[in-house]
Amino acid sequence: MTDPLGEVRSTEEQAARQRFVLDDTGFDEVPKKYRRFYRKWGGVNDVLAPNEVLCPVCKVVIRSTRELRPGDRVYCMPCMSRLVVTLGEGGRLEAVVAY
Amino acid sequence: MSDPHDLPQEVFLDEVHSFEFWFQAVAGYLTERPHGHDPNAEEVAISPSRREALITTLCNYAIGETAALEASSGMIRFAPNRRAKIFLATQVVDEARHLEVLLHRLSELGVTNHEEIVQSRANRSLLAFRKRLLQFVDGHDWEAALFAQNVILESMEFAVFQAHAELADPITGEVLTGIIKDERRHMGFGENELGRRLADTPHIRARLQAVKRELDPLVLDTFEDTLEQVGVDRGDRPALGRRYIASVERLGFGL
Repeated sequence: MTDPLGEVRSTEEQAARQRFVLDDTGFDEVPKKYRRFYRKWGGVNDVLAPNEVLCPVCKVVIRSTRELRPGDRVYCMPCMSRLVVTLGEGGRLEAVVAY
Repeated sequence: MSDPHDLPQEVFLDEVHSFEFWFQAVAGYLTERPHGHDPNAEEVAISPSRREALITTLCNYAIGETAALEASSGMIRFAPNRRAKIFLATQVVDEARHLEVLLHRLSELGVTNHEEIVQSRANRSLLAFRKRLLQFVDGHDWEAALFAQNVILESMEFAVFQAHAELADPITGEVLTGIIKDERRHMGFGENELGRRLADTPHIRARLQAVKRELDPLVLDTFEDTLEQVGVDRGDRPALGRRYIASVERLGFGL
């Protein structure tokens, strides 16, 4: 059964989040339908967008269609990891593996 | 297409462990690359000493890939669940391809007697690691085999291949880059499968810590020897070592 209050909260939260249109950046390590959700990492000087987080396992940038916030769950399909977004040093978003 | 991050966990796990997912993933980077590289790529001149070092390095990569081929195929028999069995079947195919493209690269470098030269240039620590890994497999020790192969061996290969791909001639670099893309799946499978296992059965941690203590000297010796052959600056080696160590630390195994 769906919780109506949950739906309202979810809708309000979604409205407050910035949305992103993802394009295919040429990442070729997952099936075509998932490619736009990942991109290659450019190294330590690569500045991540608010909808991106680095996979600590395989160093691929994971992308979402919405702004990411601490507590969000994302999947890294290239290395099959389930990750939780956290706030790291300096306020930067980081991902932690959730086994 | 809906956001994959919204998939229920069980659906995500079924998807990424499937043969269909593997097939569509590898098609993206292997199509039109027979033997792991663009067939029209031209060889660049390599000095005799660098060529010899490259041959030795590729021989040891071939030993590592053979170990992973033999181990992953044997592990299917005693893998504890359907997802792991299907994933390991895809890993067997990956490892066989790696071995094949490395031997083909040796042929391109003028090597004709593969079996003989691979054995003659083998790192003893790597051979000892292979022997121990296959003992875990023969003993149907799922946790130890998974830890040794998909966490320790794959993490070491991932770090070394990345460093080597940046320094290598273009053809070797392209071959290694293709292998690295497969290694992401292999080490991710190992870390996540073992992480779930450790969460459910924490008593296995002490045994795996002992496995790590036993294998560490073999891994570090192989690691150092390979980085020397590849030509990685001594100053860059600690950072590469940290990349390797990070995965075992995430699982809670310190030095």
